Amino acid sequence: MNLLVWTLAVPLVTAAIGGVGGPRKLNETVMVGGLLLTFGLSVATARQFLAGVPPAAFGDALRADGLSALVLVLCGFVGLLSATYGVGYLRRNEARALVTPRMRREFYGLIPAYVFAMLLVAVSNNLGILWIAVELTTLASIFLITFHDRDTSLEAGWKFLVLGSLGLAFALLGTVLLFAAGQGHLGEGFSALHWTRFMEVAPLLHPFTLRLGVVFALIGYGTKAGLAPMHTWKPDAYREAPSPAGVLMAVGMVNGALYCLLRIHLISKASLGPEFSGGLLLTLGLLSVLIAMPFILIQWNLKRLLAYSSIEHVGIMAVGVGLGGEAAAFGALLHMTYHSLAKPVGFFSAGTLAQLHSSSDLKRIGVGTISRAPITSVLLMLAALMITGSPPFALFFSEMTILRAGFLSAHPTVTSVFLAALVVLFCGIVYQIGHVVLGPPRDPADRRVPLRERPDLGMGTMIAAAILAIASTFYLPEPLLALIRAATAVVSGRP
Amino acid sequence: MVTSDLLILCAAGMLVSAYLMVGQKALFTAIRLYSVQSLLLGIVAVTMAVSESRHELFATAAITVILKAIVIPWFLMRVIDRIGIHREIEPFLNVPASLLVCVGLTVVGYRVSTGFPVGARNVSHHLIGVALSMVLIGLFLMVTRKKAITQILALLTVENAVFLVAVGVTTGMPLVVELGIAFDVILAVLVLGILVHRIVDRFESMDVSRLSKLKG
Repeated sequence: MNLLVWTLAVPLVTAAIGGVGGPRKLNETVMVGGLLLTFGLSVATARQFLAGVPPAAFGDALRADGLSALVLVLCGFVGLLSATYGVGYLRRNEARALVTPRMRREFYGLIPAYVFAMLLVAVSNNLGILWIAVELTTLASIFLITFHDRDTSLEAGWKFLVLGSLGLAFALLGTVLLFAAGQGHLGEGFSALHWTRFMEVAPLLHPFTLRLGVVFALIGYGTKAGLAPMHTWKPDAYREAPSPAGVLMAVGMVNGALYCLLRIHLISKASLGPEFSGGLLLTLGLLSVLIAMPFILIQWNLKRLLAYSSIEHVGIMAVGVGLGGEAAAFGALLHMTYHSLAKPVGFFSAGTLAQLHSSSDLKRIGVGTISRAPITSVLLMLAALMITGSPPFALFFSEMTILRAGFLSAHPTVTSVFLAALVVLFCGIVYQIGHVVLGPPRDPADRRVPLRERPDLGMGTMIAAAILAIASTFYLPEPLLALIRAATAVVSGRP
Repeated sequence: MVTSDLLILCAAGMLVSAYLMVGQKALFTAIRLYSVQSLLLGIVAVTMAVSESRHELFATAAITVILKAIVIPWFLMRVIDRIGIHREIEPFLNVPASLLVCVGLTVVGYRVSTGFPVGARNVSHHLIGVALSMVLIGLFLMVTRKKAITQILALLTVENAVFLVAVGVTTGMPLVVELGIAFDVILAVLVLGILVHRIVDRFESMDVSRLSKLKG
């Protein structure tokens, strides 16, 4: 069988076994083993692409070009991290008798299913399959958001599902309109919705229909990416979801949704020129970065803080793509890679801290956590510095690449506003997290001893993720860099 | 000529059903209206299939009628029966004002549709006009109504509008894709139903405007 098909089949089987239930040890082994194998297979698929044999299956409906291969590897990586951390996470909850059999089945079934749907997004060459895959990610994640079955998680789940479904309805309308724009040129049958087919006939597409389709599709997939003003589900969902699922949403889903936006953008660019969809992405991206500012400054919950940081990062990537030009696109994809490495550290440490205090509200966590949970606190501080793009960490370089390209492009004013917003966000996040970690304990509640942090699988994953993220600052493996370059070539339209 | 008249009639019927949905409060009636709307969509698909001898559209019509005119309405009625809530409470905007807004939205929808190519039988831009109006009305329903079931119906109305474009304006989506979409939609409705159950269990109401703890 085809390598690409295996990459998708393994997480699906893992999900099926996990969903059935069974002894805890078996569930844990299957999930970690399955997602480890998935990561290995996604790397193998990317290697096959780099070796010059673009992997494809089902009559090119699934196909991996540079962009797909990059997103595939990143999603596979995050899937593995989420699995190992997730096992540790659930064990801790189990030790406190917080886990019902229903929860266990949902957890071990839905996390691999979510990974499967994200990988399917990454390799879809058919706009119809792409839409179906994105809808599957929504359906797989909804019961992860309502996992803890609190009042607030039902609220978050409802908002997520209604807003997400509406976004997807828009994306479907966009897809249908794109299809309508190519009537008479795309041909018949399944291959008529292939992205590659759209690119071949791009100059012949009906301009007005295409424009309308692009607007709907960008708003629709933008909702899934969490671009402002369609971002409102994100803080709620991130707060309620258990951290292993949160990291899948914050990294995997963000990359996947951005992948969809890029595919639509590329069709539009090939047909209408870069200004139309590029301008739209630039506007939405800048708005996302700006909207995150006030909410980070007044934030009352650690995970919501990370959600707004995620909105910021989607914004940064959208700005990078929207600015146009190869340098900015390279910056955006580099940012995607570095962000995928750095964000899990933030999520895992915040999640551990929340677990130790039984809440992610800043009030409950208190200040000065470094004296109570030193390792987690240090990692959280480190993550805060990394995700805000402070030097010498990697995201600083990708942000500089985008900014440099921005000042050299036709949008220096936009870039200046963007830069100012990034500075404010840096101060906001570092202040907030610095306060939690290092702040002087004021009232007795801050001195109480919570549950102690213990060396376990969750802690190990967290430390490993942190080491990888720091190492990536100084050294990116050559094949990964080649993948980023190949993806840049796809985005800037070179063969 | 008969074909295009029939198409326009069905499309107009779908628009009217969307208006009626805005205009009344009994949830059962709203679900029946959705069922009728889906049936009309099925007729559009059959008409296209016969007049252009595109046989794969018969499959589309069959899926539409079975799924959206029968299974989904049946499921939603069961949900309502179980939780025993039958009426929409006073919406954020009263009915006459809502209908006026919808007229405005229809004008917008039609205005946008004039940019489309006229198409084979002079009906394409009518269908697109109706579809865009229905999308806007669905959005409007979603923001002004409080009951969870009404929000689901609003979503499904938007989805019907999308299929009206797919069936009436394009040569039909590839069948594999359509099956996948149908599968996803039924799954989504199922999940929404489960969530409504959980919300009613927890809050003893399906008034989603009560879901307002999370802010900032």
